[in-house]
Amino acid sequence: MTLARKIAWRLLVTALCLGAWEGAYRLHMLSPIIFGSPSLILKAAATDGVTFLDALRVTLYEILVAISIAWVGGTALGVVAGMLRPLDRIASPFFGAMIAIPFVILYPILIAWLGIGPESKIVFGVLLGMFPIALNTMIGVQSIERGYASMAMAMGASRLQTVTWVMVPLALPAVISGLRLGTSLLIAGVILTEMLAATDGLGFWISYNRSLFNTGQVYLGILLALAVATLANLALGRLERRYGSWRARQQAAS
Amino acid sequence: MEEVGAMTALAVAETKPGRTVIEAIGVSKLFGSSSGPVQALADISFSVGSGEFVTVVGPSGCGKSTLLQILAGLVPASSGTIVLDGQTIDGPRPDKVGVVFQDAWLLPWKTAIENIEFPLALRGVPTAERRARSQALLDLVGLGDSARRYPHELSGGMKQRVAIARGLVQEPSVLLMDEPFAALDEQTRTRMGAELLQIWERSGRTILFITHGLAEAIYLADVVLVMAANPGRIVERIPVTLPRPRTIDMIGSEAFGRLRNHIWHLISDRGPL
Amino acid sequence: MKPARREDWLVLAGRFGIVIVFALAWEVLGRMGKSDPELLPPLSKVLATLWQLLHDPDFMVDLRVTLVEIAAAFAIVAPLGLLIGFVVGENQRLYDVVNPTIQLMMATPKAIFLPIFIIAFGIGFTEKVVFSTMIGLFAVILAGIAAVHSVPQGLVTAARSFGVNRRQLYLQIYLPAMTPLIIGGLRLGLVFTIFGVLLSEMYAASNGVGHAFVAWGESYRMPELMAGVLLIVVITVALDEMMRLAEEHYGKWRKSAR
Repeated sequence: MTLARKIAWRLLVTALCLGAWEGAYRLHMLSPIIFGSPSLILKAAATDGVTFLDALRVTLYEILVAISIAWVGGTALGVVAGMLRPLDRIASPFFGAMIAIPFVILYPILIAWLGIGPESKIVFGVLLGMFPIALNTMIGVQSIERGYASMAMAMGASRLQTVTWVMVPLALPAVISGLRLGTSLLIAGVILTEMLAATDGLGFWISYNRSLFNTGQVYLGILLALAVATLANLALGRLERRYGSWRARQQAAS
Repeated sequence: MEEVGAMTALAVAETKPGRTVIEAIGVSKLFGSSSGPVQALADISFSVGSGEFVTVVGPSGCGKSTLLQILAGLVPASSGTIVLDGQTIDGPRPDKVGVVFQDAWLLPWKTAIENIEFPLALRGVPTAERRARSQALLDLVGLGDSARRYPHELSGGMKQRVAIARGLVQEPSVLLMDEPFAALDEQTRTRMGAELLQIWERSGRTILFITHGLAEAIYLADVVLVMAANPGRIVERIPVTLPRPRTIDMIGSEAFGRLRNHIWHLISDRGPL
Repeated sequence: MKPARREDWLVLAGRFGIVIVFALAWEVLGRMGKSDPELLPPLSKVLATLWQLLHDPDFMVDLRVTLVEIAAAFAIVAPLGLLIGFVVGENQRLYDVVNPTIQLMMATPKAIFLPIFIIAFGIGFTEKVVFSTMIGLFAVILAGIAAVHSVPQGLVTAARSFGVNRRQLYLQIYLPAMTPLIIGGLRLGLVFTIFGVLLSEMYAASNGVGHAFVAWGESYRMPELMAGVLLIVVITVALDEMMRLAEEHYGKWRKSAR
């Protein structure tokens, strides 16, 4: 199927789903409080749209700050860990444990220390995002086969040139993979903590409207949150494909 | 010196005294594809006598693997009949046919001897008996000490030997082999060929061996069936009269070379249309 | 062998070192801070509090509630997720339709659907179990699909060549081949399920460990809070480690390419 047909098909399916959703609402087939409808969402946008956009701005701010810290810190940590040979063996059981631990239980501690403002959300996001980034960066650094460095030296490349033009591209796919995973977790963490205890942000407003049973507003907030998460995922996925697909193929073939 | 007999007509005659174990009559196979039906095999007929070692050689895409799959009962023929030791083949007949593939496909969670036993275990053969039979075969292929080893601990050649033992464990009339040594390095391949001939002599099985290596085909065989592609068909049946037991040196002999050149021309001149 | 053995000791020492440094730092920093309320109680105090908590009937009730919710959710997630995963994995058409949806679900922050579950089910056992089931299900479904896809077609052909029937094929070829991936998937599913239960307890609940944590946090009862968190960390890591050992045991044969 050509791209145009694919898009047309997807739009058609989406339109049909929305129509069915609205239809179910109008015909009272489903509980309106639980399932809402597209028209309720539009109404909510009309009345509370500004509030939600402000909330979105707050959430985006928290996410961006967290990303800056997690990306830089995570990759730096990963590079260091990747270059120190025994370090990954030493740390691996701890990394394994990290995945098993439900980080959400640390949030009350963060609130006690940092309050319910943006700081606690940012720190939590960084905590969630940094480990996948560091881990994947470390793996990426370690996966650089030594032969490439020898080849570069034989060609007369300087150390800086070797690092920039050979090693970074080799490690990059794994790093981007880690960034994608880490960012996805980070965004989820920020929104999650806003839902638990906050004064502003998308998560807070979703929760607040839930307690008032404003289903339209709740779905509006969810849609915005989904949009943020999906856009970030798509963007990083695009990056991953551009810089990374050759590596997966190469490693699969060897 | 040795004459290399070559018949240009398809002969459905036996060259060795003894019964016919494989009889293929007018076997054809059609595959449907997006651009219309493709004839993978056209009117294949041949026969193999008991205890013979027959190799099938041909260019890529001539349908040799499809032929083997049909002989093994894994894929149905579009027309024609296969009779194996008096039995018409219409599905897997593990009692008649043992198969060795290019990849050993050993069950990685079982030891070598458990892998060989496995077909017997499926049939409900009691433990002591299947253990004994499997160990005997393991000795036959020269891996008697490796019974308890796991596939990931074995080399490629060793895995294939276990696969051969597994193919023989149900005492089939015929052992079908689909390029079993193709994935091995050349030296291992040569060694395995010599060992296969020893196993063949010791066990007395009938073997049909598919390969795309001409030297291998001639070195191993009593009869070489040469196939061409588009559509897949047998173009010549060549008895190999080199003396047995075969030695590696024979590969460098003049008779061998002439035979090899003959087959090469058959294959390359009739290459893909 | 010598250099390898030396590195093994180094690694072991490194791991112990990390744990000890962490514990010492906790103890020392805890004793230094004298803010009121005490924000970082020293490790010794936290451990003592943990001991008390384990003898506190109210906390044990909360703990039991949480564990029962986790067990109930996982009891649904495991068989249902695997079943769906197998069915989808076997059927190419179904896979093409279902897979993008599941991938999409995995990429979203599923926590944002919690408010809808609360509107629908109220606050209580049912809501928590249903929500965590949803979260855990996707991970297990994906693992089930991957498990089915991981069985090489050649293995199935070889098995057919020596005459397996359908039942033997599924029980003696597919099942052992898929076991390591199944266990891996269940392991991840458990992690997600536990997360779902704790999250919903923290968000809105009247009992359970998560609820206790939130209550302690609000009243700045740090020793109890940290003791409880430490306990949950130990439990989840222990559970995960058990499953990891099982995964390794059943996956021993995966050491090399085949």
